[in-house]
Amino acid sequence: MSKRASIIGVGATKFGNILETPELKDKTFQEIVAEAAFEAMDDAGISPSEIDAFIVGNMLSHTTQIYSHATLLGDWLGLRLKGGFHFDTACSTTNTGLGIAWQMVMSGKYKNVLIVAGEITSSAPKGTFPLEREAIDASTLWEWTDFGVDHVYAYHHFYDVASAYGAFPTIGYMKKNKISSEEMDKVMCAVNKTVRRHSAVNPKAILYEKGTLEEEAKREGFSSVEDYWKSAKNPFFAWPTRLFSALNTADGATAIIVSSEPEKYAKNKPVDITGFHWTVSNFPWYGEDATDFPQDRIAFKEAFKMAGIKPADLDYLYVHDCMQIYQLILPEVAGYIPEGQAWKYALNGDFAFDGKKPLNVSGGRHGGGHAFEASAGFETYEIVKQMRGEAKGRQITPLPKIAAQHNHGYGMHTAVTVLKAAD
Amino acid sequence: MEPIAKKWYDQLAQGVIMATKCKDCGAYTFPPLTVCRECSSRNVEWVKISGKGKLVMFSSSILPAKKFAHLAPIAYGLVKLEEGPCFFTKIEGVKCSTPEEIRKENELLPAEVKAEIQKAEGVNIVVFRKK
Repeated sequence: MSKRASIIGVGATKFGNILETPELKDKTFQEIVAEAAFEAMDDAGISPSEIDAFIVGNMLSHTTQIYSHATLLGDWLGLRLKGGFHFDTACSTTNTGLGIAWQMVMSGKYKNVLIVAGEITSSAPKGTFPLEREAIDASTLWEWTDFGVDHVYAYHHFYDVASAYGAFPTIGYMKKNKISSEEMDKVMCAVNKTVRRHSAVNPKAILYEKGTLEEEAKREGFSSVEDYWKSAKNPFFAWPTRLFSALNTADGATAIIVSSEPEKYAKNKPVDITGFHWTVSNFPWYGEDATDFPQDRIAFKEAFKMAGIKPADLDYLYVHDCMQIYQLILPEVAGYIPEGQAWKYALNGDFAFDGKKPLNVSGGRHGGGHAFEASAGFETYEIVKQMRGEAKGRQITPLPKIAAQHNHGYGMHTAVTVLKAAD
Repeated sequence: MEPIAKKWYDQLAQGVIMATKCKDCGAYTFPPLTVCRECSSRNVEWVKISGKGKLVMFSSSILPAKKFAHLAPIAYGLVKLEEGPCFFTKIEGVKCSTPEEIRKENELLPAEVKAEIQKAEGVNIVVFRKK
């Protein structure tokens, strides 16, 4: 048995569109996954021969046309004849992978485990040749994505993700905290301003090149960001949730290497996995109080218990923000922000990297982009870089020592992992 | 074990809306599953529901599911059934053509709603109508 499971290396491709983004263009799924994995290996200073096993995340087999992912990736990763398997908890996958890798190395069976995931959301092969791809529209992407939601009953009863996952929790938050719809619109604009402030300084983020929300408003000819927010450029996706409060789907890959012998790979400060917990719930995820997902309460509580921490010990928190309303709901559930106060923190800009309660500093699923099963790895990458002091332009100071990462996997798996910078 | 979902949909085709009631904890599960959703007991019985409920909130998306896109705008809401469970489905009898309409209608909630069976793209489903 081992005594420690530590992250020794992380990697992430640029999040973008595989048909257009220069860093991704003309590459296969295997190649983008390898690119993230090689960055993680180089980051750790580890060779493929020292990696004992790897686990692979990928959700949309419609766009990759792959099953038995580890088999098809082994050669491309330099991991032929190593142990490997595909695993899947949708958009929480790479976060779940941290707990799986923890168990693999803590058991003593493996010393170094690679977690890797990739997703292509923008296009699919025209036939079966992976280099001849065609764009898919949002309606088709969501038809495939919604296979993650109950199809025995919910989907055929007009299931609507924008309402169920965005609008209703937003209405619930307004009701619970007695916030008018006009005030809530201002709050969500403030949330998005911070999201865009973060993605504007994260070169791997999908919206990096578009700069801040303020810069975009000016480019679009608006005299104020608030006018831009309320304009036809940002319609209600499902009232009271506007389009800019939702995710931006992306293509990309991420990788994390977990080791029981971090001292052997002392190139960087290791980050220890100290706690994790997983919960599942089929739709519906909540009752009359649409802000209360019991699965999140349990996952935070049990992960913190395993890590032996209290919410007050957290220096940094990431919460899954496919819809930015979760940047208000979940920090309160985690105990990172007092109950009913997150909207005030958002208005004050306190969630910024240089604010008093940094949150989702990568840019999250809107600014950073959402490459489904690879996305949680994008956030682990951010936490590790922040703990090492390598988050140029968005560095939290003093360096965070204890962080928690929360992800929702459609629909709905919750994974919470607690990470601690090694002393 | 008998087929659960087929039985439920077959009963809808007969005009009957059923749930299961747990003989151990008393909770209703709607629509039925293989177990009680509250306590996981398999000791459940099939019962008719009253069809009465309370509309808690609703909205309407500009990107409805592809299957239903031609029916837009669609009001989609959270209904608290008289028997206890919350159920999400299409809501009839509310205006949802503009965000302003949705906002104003939501300000009038909660409101009483009544279940009815509707055929949606070839499948019998349960929707709720605001009185």
